[in-house]
Amino acid sequence: MTNFILRRFIQTLVVIVILSYVSYFLMTLMPGDPVELLIQSNPKITPEDVARLKQLYGLDQPTYVRYWNWVSTILQGDLGYSRTYRIPVSELIGEKLVNTFILSMSSLTFSLLIAIPLGVLAALKAGTKWDYIVNFFSFSGISMPVFWLALMLIILFAVKLNWLPASGTFTIGQDLQGFDYALDRIKYLILPALTLSYLTIGSFMRYTRSSMLEAMRNDYIRTAKAKGLDYQTIIWKHGFRNALIPLITVVTLSFSGVFSGALVTETIFSYQGVGKLTYDSIISNDFNVAMISFIISVTSLLVMNFVADMLYGVADPRISYK
Amino acid sequence: MSTELTDKQRQAIEKIQPMWKIIFDQFLEHRMAVIGLCMIILFLLIAVLAPVISMVSGLDPEKQNPLQRYKPPFSTIVASSSQKEEYIKSFIEKNPEESAKLSQVLIDKQLVTSSRAEDALYDLAQLEINEALQKLDQAKASELAATATAVKKVIQDFKTYHVFGTDELGRDVLIRLIYGTRISMTVGILVAIFSSLIGLLIGAVAGFYGGYIDTILMRVTDALLSLPIFPVLIVVAAIDLNKVPLLNNLVGAQSESMYKLFFILLLFSWMGTARLVRGSVLAIREREFILASKTLGAKDSTIIFKNILPNVISPLLVSVTLGVGGSILFESVLSFLGLGIQPPTPSWGNMLSNGQELIWEAPSLAFLPGLLILITTMSFNYLGDGLQDAIDPKAIRR
Repeated sequence: MTNFILRRFIQTLVVIVILSYVSYFLMTLMPGDPVELLIQSNPKITPEDVARLKQLYGLDQPTYVRYWNWVSTILQGDLGYSRTYRIPVSELIGEKLVNTFILSMSSLTFSLLIAIPLGVLAALKAGTKWDYIVNFFSFSGISMPVFWLALMLIILFAVKLNWLPASGTFTIGQDLQGFDYALDRIKYLILPALTLSYLTIGSFMRYTRSSMLEAMRNDYIRTAKAKGLDYQTIIWKHGFRNALIPLITVVTLSFSGVFSGALVTETIFSYQGVGKLTYDSIISNDFNVAMISFIISVTSLLVMNFVADMLYGVADPRISYK
Repeated sequence: MSTELTDKQRQAIEKIQPMWKIIFDQFLEHRMAVIGLCMIILFLLIAVLAPVISMVSGLDPEKQNPLQRYKPPFSTIVASSSQKEEYIKSFIEKNPEESAKLSQVLIDKQLVTSSRAEDALYDLAQLEINEALQKLDQAKASELAATATAVKKVIQDFKTYHVFGTDELGRDVLIRLIYGTRISMTVGILVAIFSSLIGLLIGAVAGFYGGYIDTILMRVTDALLSLPIFPVLIVVAAIDLNKVPLLNNLVGAQSESMYKLFFILLLFSWMGTARLVRGSVLAIREREFILASKTLGAKDSTIIFKNILPNVISPLLVSVTLGVGGSILFESVLSFLGLGIQPPTPSWGNMLSNGQELIWEAPSLAFLPGLLILITTMSFNYLGDGLQDAIDPKAIRR
């Protein structure tokens, strides 16, 4: 077991390094490095100046040398400087991480609270109209264009009904404290959290339904029924606990987005999280910020993959790691 | 209790049903999948017939009308008198001789009371549309039938009906949605098919040969799967093609954005299929009929294509179907972020992106394209689900 964990850990590290190199390489292919921007803004610049500037910024070196330099400064704890915001990346990203964490956790909790009972219901009443309705709901969740759902919610709740703010993270210019502050944050949280939940509810529900169906087909369920056990006990203790195993993987993988955020949703609602930061930094060529947000998303996904594998073994003792 | 069967009933039961019939019957039981299939066929027809629809209805996806922007659905637009003059002017400039003759006929028959022959068509245009058309019919009797019909078409265009209203440039939304169907369906289906082929190839090779080939291919697959998809898509879409050696001759090509979109979507959508195929191949490889084939001295390619491939076709079909829905979603997201299909070519994604800024003035501009994306994607997902149920022998309900 220890051996397996160690091996997986090293593998994960290697993949992170390779992927960060790939991202770094892709970034260099984008138009608009610092010197190119300088050239555009100053038509009088001479080729000698360009060469000198490129040397100064290290842009004349091949990608792998630049990558190596970048990694060594990161390892020293220096995340670099944001070109757009003109503050260190470490200062910039802290607050966004908190915002994204709040958003993703609330939407995940909400969708689990909705999806699991409905999924179990659909499995127990398979083939009835309840099953059809739940199925339709989850298919629409899987097929939903997220930006459209977001826009429709804005049109309905912000434009037509005027109940909730259309975009933002909190009311700017109001120095609220304590309870009022929390209430204000929640107002801005509802629409993006609803949008995100709708999508995850769909897939959670499908997984719950299919694994619950599978679990309820087992012989021990029939035995439990035959010996006259309370129906609720059968469902939750015998059925649902066994249905949990495949669910764990899906839910754990969803947790990988807790810090990397949801790019499209955050962008549409201009919610100041990591997802929006990623989008803004790529669009405005803010190289250091973009790379750090990349690393955050890659790392959290791989770590959650790793955790899902571990949890799988814990939840199901039949699985052994060699 | 036993029931006697008539000969006919017995025959019906004993008759051997072909495999496809069993699958087809099973598929028909999945009601939503059948509805999905019907929707897909409808959309495909619309996509194929887009130019015909455009011709018959007289609507043009590119025709702008800045005076009539953001019209709500179900609105009729009548051209202003200065616009009418412009249309007539451009017609006369294109066909000077014929229009001169027609003007003469109009005056000779006293259908219009113009003092100068050149003004005849302009005066005709300013009349009530039906009246003008009638008068043209009267003039048509002569040898100028073709010209009269052409003028008739110009005059008919003065009054246009827009079921879904007009957009920010006064273009008809309905016909743009119809042309958008073309783009979305093409992108979705082509990407799904090609990415499945790539996935099939990689999965089959990895599964069949195993060993370090398998390890390398599967690690690459896993790595690509763990790349954060949206940031990478944005970066790749923003890549300056001049900096990439092989692709830089595409720059400036008319449909550069389309090629780029294909490339990006292909690059990131084959992994699921590859894993699926590898799994099935691994399972099939151990079966006796493969051993038999090997013992008879079959080549690797024969075994892969003749023995293994037919057995992975059905899961592959399901993944292609589900892939179409996914690709349509991805295309729309990229176009929505301004990185996919570039305007003026209409795609559902970029129409929605334009509509986004106008949710106060014209909510229907954002509503319709998104609804179509949702319906199409759902249809494909239901179809995939239905196929899966139909093909999977475990799911057959009796």
